[in-house]
Amino acid sequence: MPSFPYGKAAFSFVIMALISGLFVTFHRVESRKTTLTMWTFAETHYAAYRKAIPSFEAAHPGVTVKVEHVNGQAVTSRLQAAFHANLNVPDVVEVEISSAGSFFRGPLEHVGFLDLTDRVKQSGLWDKMIQARFAPYMTHGRIFGLPHDVHPVMLACRRDLLEKAGVDMNRIETWDDFIKIGRKVTIPGKQYLLELSDSGTDNIEVMLFQRGGGYFDPQGKCSFDNEIAVQTMLFYVPLVAGKDKIGSTLGANQILTQAVEQGYMLCLFAPDWRTKGLEQDIPRMSGNMALMPLPALKPGGLRTSTWGGTMLGITKKSEHPDLAWELAQHLYLDKPQLAERFRDTNILPCLREAWNQAAFQEPRPYWSNQKLGAMYAELAPQVPFQYSSPYIVTAKAKFGEALVSCVQYYNANGESGFEEYARKRLKQSANEVRNLSARNPYQ
Amino acid sequence: MKETSFFRLQHRYAPYLFVSPFLFLFSVFGVYPIFKSLQLSLYITNGPRDHVFVGLGNFQFLLRDPDFHTAVWNTIVFALCSVFLQLPLSLGLAILLSQKWLKGRAFFRLAFFCPQLVGQAFVAVLFGVLFVPKFGLINQTLFSVFGIPDDTKWLQNPSLVMPALVLTSLWMYVGFNMIYFLAALQGVDLELYEAAKVDGANSRQQFFAVTLPGIRPVAVFVLVTATIGSFQLFELPYILLNNSAGPNKSGLTLVMYLFQTGFVTGDLGYASAVGWTLAIGVLVISLIQMRITGAWKGENA
Repeated sequence: MPSFPYGKAAFSFVIMALISGLFVTFHRVESRKTTLTMWTFAETHYAAYRKAIPSFEAAHPGVTVKVEHVNGQAVTSRLQAAFHANLNVPDVVEVEISSAGSFFRGPLEHVGFLDLTDRVKQSGLWDKMIQARFAPYMTHGRIFGLPHDVHPVMLACRRDLLEKAGVDMNRIETWDDFIKIGRKVTIPGKQYLLELSDSGTDNIEVMLFQRGGGYFDPQGKCSFDNEIAVQTMLFYVPLVAGKDKIGSTLGANQILTQAVEQGYMLCLFAPDWRTKGLEQDIPRMSGNMALMPLPALKPGGLRTSTWGGTMLGITKKSEHPDLAWELAQHLYLDKPQLAERFRDTNILPCLREAWNQAAFQEPRPYWSNQKLGAMYAELAPQVPFQYSSPYIVTAKAKFGEALVSCVQYYNANGESGFEEYARKRLKQSANEVRNLSARNPYQ
Repeated sequence: MKETSFFRLQHRYAPYLFVSPFLFLFSVFGVYPIFKSLQLSLYITNGPRDHVFVGLGNFQFLLRDPDFHTAVWNTIVFALCSVFLQLPLSLGLAILLSQKWLKGRAFFRLAFFCPQLVGQAFVAVLFGVLFVPKFGLINQTLFSVFGIPDDTKWLQNPSLVMPALVLTSLWMYVGFNMIYFLAALQGVDLELYEAAKVDGANSRQQFFAVTLPGIRPVAVFVLVTATIGSFQLFELPYILLNNSAGPNKSGLTLVMYLFQTGFVTGDLGYASAVGWTLAIGVLVISLIQMRITGAWKGENA
């Protein structure tokens, strides 16, 4: 028998390649159990759901729930790629509010998430939950996501330093009151009253929403050059630019920790989720911090806004949509669990009925014994609507560009011609978003 | 061994069989995507499933898209900085480290080359920490040495983002390109220097008359690859600016814009148009560079 002409080694490689190729091609792992896969991007959610899953599995014999913690950006990019390529996707996914809109770009029938409208309406959740929170997860009047949270915003303050400066937080009612104090306590380059960014949109967005504005109107049309947005810009820029500024920022995470500890900033916008971050990252400030509702635009005005959010979506490709819906309800509507989760995360759930539980009434030593849950719950029903669009990421970027330009203008020219410039710049940015969205043939 | 007709055939076709996996993979993952992207550039898409034919509409929109213009401008500025700052610095370092009187040359060569070993992602994370206002090493050093305010916001101030990017890339690539120049310098004939000295040439004249012509092939190669690399800039600004284009899109590069349009906005068609424009632009610039430097004529190249 003739030998293999390229030697034994090459022959072995060919044989191994053949065997492994055949094995991979024909081997099938049979699954005897029903497995629901869930992706979440938030570490706090992941930890909470791991606690909640055993009771769901116990109530559904033969069902396994696999919760995976996936980076927020990866959730968006991997999921979009999988939707487009018709690949396997998890059954249940949590998506961050700012990227939710990007899933609604194509034709309605090609949205990768299951239309939850009928389930939400029939189960009565539409009335039991804060309706404003459904808005970012809707397109063409259909609901594609269950809101995880309300995220009302308050101000988290260094109570000790403010008291030392003779400031009574309880007497601050309006932004005018607040700014007056800001002018008093701000020491340029060393201490500012409020954490405010002169380049990012997170903070100005809070003020925009508080005034009833937003990036898009209920019809999904770009609206951040309307009168509300212009007035917000005119109000905000002098707080972060010019000689009388009262706000600044250094960065996030450890930098923020140092900035708060060293008193570089005395107050910061605090949606409920951020309070847990502060408790964990700056434990030494326990007892020195306190919360207060946002100052209103005018006496009697709205004392809150909103920042951030998460939706839970069920993918159309899920083989067990009803089971996935049950899981969603288990995670988002089970009251005892929500109470326990609130203690772990400080995040106020969307379900109003849950707020009466003891966990929401407990005084928190970190926050100078304030009843954090009750304070946020009181503000929650007033949380403003925010509407989304497939162009939400672009709109935020463009609004940010307008902000940076306005800050540069104000630093160079002050009030002179500022209003006219701000109007023009906002219109330019909004038109850029409109030009881009006008190209979308699926609207 | 007597060869049968089967083995004769094998000898003839075996080479093709062995290269066929490469050819197959290259066709699937190389050639097909190139032609597919060219086709896609004529459509507005929402992922690969939904697409509407627009002809050259994407390319027309590029001409009036302010973000694309910003990305082009930023990329060109970065490329110019790479060519006019990075390469002279690399060459200078290479000349310095090729001097025999310098002690510890091997150590310095390794030290300057090391940043290249860790990769752009790590460098971006590292410099993200170094550039932090108030508490970052760069600001603290600038404050203590020059009295520059320590709350300088390198990555939040639109006019400082590009200098921060250039500074970071210099740290990373100067040592890398230095290695090419070092190798080229070692290839320059020492007798030419001696002859130049005999003719009375000073150091500057020796550099321009002997060193530069001697290293020209490598210099052209470094110039072209550095320019192409600059036009491909993505990870560094993307990570350094926290997955964004920075304030006022001051860190937006062409590849970053391509990524955003394709994978954030979801319009693969427009992203393909950006990609093809970038590819043609890089090709034209490379050809111009090669023409200017004489590499085309085969003069020592």
